[in-house]
Amino acid sequence: MQAIDHHAWTNRWRDWHPAEKLLPAGSLLILTLILPPLSSGPLVLGSMAWATVRGAGVPARALLNVLAAPAAFLVAGVPFLAVSVHFADGLGLYWSPDGLRLALDTTVRALAAVSCLAFLTLTTPLTDLIALLRRLGIPAGLIELILLVYRLIFVFAERALTGRRAQTARLGYVRFDRSLRSVGGLASNLFQRALHQARRMEIGLAARGYTGELRVLGSERALSWPRLMMGMTLVALIGLMGEWLARGLS
Amino acid sequence: MHIAEGFLPPLHAAAWMAVSLPFVAVSAYRVDRLMREQPQIKLLLAAAGAYAFILSALKLPSVTGSCSHATGTGLGAILFGPSVMALLGTIVLVFQALLLAHGGLTTLGANVFSMAIAGPWIAHAVFHGSRRLHAPLAVSVFLAATLGDWATYLVTTGQLALAFPDPVSGVAGAAVKFAGVFALTQIPLAIIEGLLTVIVINLLNQNSRQELDLLAFAPGDVR
Repeated sequence: MQAIDHHAWTNRWRDWHPAEKLLPAGSLLILTLILPPLSSGPLVLGSMAWATVRGAGVPARALLNVLAAPAAFLVAGVPFLAVSVHFADGLGLYWSPDGLRLALDTTVRALAAVSCLAFLTLTTPLTDLIALLRRLGIPAGLIELILLVYRLIFVFAERALTGRRAQTARLGYVRFDRSLRSVGGLASNLFQRALHQARRMEIGLAARGYTGELRVLGSERALSWPRLMMGMTLVALIGLMGEWLARGLS
Repeated sequence: MHIAEGFLPPLHAAAWMAVSLPFVAVSAYRVDRLMREQPQIKLLLAAAGAYAFILSALKLPSVTGSCSHATGTGLGAILFGPSVMALLGTIVLVFQALLLAHGGLTTLGANVFSMAIAGPWIAHAVFHGSRRLHAPLAVSVFLAATLGDWATYLVTTGQLALAFPDPVSGVAGAAVKFAGVFALTQIPLAIIEGLLTVIVINLLNQNSRQELDLLAFAPGDVR
């Protein structure tokens, strides 16, 4: 978590207007879902990896870590796409060629889609993306709530880590029953502290004249149309090439 | 279990978004009104949202040694109520997708439906149902958390089965397949989470009465 956030704030494209990253990555994500995965998936994966590592200067290791996140889900789900069951005479299991193709398609599609997500999260700080929500007509109060959740997540994560370390040092996780008790204790303690924190913030803000709106200084960045157009053109090219390859293959 | 980014075909991804949207919109409208009436509740809700995120990232002790996480659906539904959980759960799922790459943006609708809508509502219904039947608090909490978890996994199973019907036995066969895989890990996990939720609620009742009183906006039958 800290790793993704760290790269989002420190990469080379950090100061670009978020729309310049969101629109191309978002359109490519949608294209990935629509186009035949076997031809366009590798193209999407390659171009997004290139943009993330070469363009924005995010270490390749960070990108690989993000791509590995859904791996567990794919490993658990994909083999079962390739296996067929039937109940005609008892329960039967067998390999099906259609299923195998479906499993391959789904894996490639998911990996390509994750690469779009990885590009977005590794190059764009979440606060920038949240600020864009205003354009969608989300009330200012809700946006503030989302921003507050984002900031508190890091505060609480540190507490959770500290608590866990303290419990481990006191042999809190040596046995199953003790682990269960320790996690329970940690969760309830965090709850108490979370609400305590909220109350403290409430008092602190009330003392500063809080009436329901938190005013923060946002960094206004000009949208660069050439960059946005260039990104969108590249996306369109990838889409066309994927489509063309798919025709060639079939 | 989060469905990974890009795993669902486009039509299914869009359909689940359309299903989840009204629930989340109603929840957002309610929360927005609540925050306008009592500005200080915004901080409380933010703390609750961040807490839900951290809760879902806590590693559970597991019998098999594999790494597994709590869902926090049951605890969230009991503490904050399902109508608030729809919005908070959605926020948490978006952050999980963007900060941890768990789940995704295209599968957000499907994940929101299973984890932020179906799970909390079932947990809520079970909790109140068993309280009405005069079951002890611990039993109600255990049932709510465990059944809420199972509901989440059954919904995920259904979503996957609808998206990937078995070439021979159709949706039903696919549902059996996915349910079989998930059952291995999820039945024990949900029971562990049920026990954990009981421990948490008991500790909260002992030590955090004041904090529980702050949750006056929630159904709050824990008190």
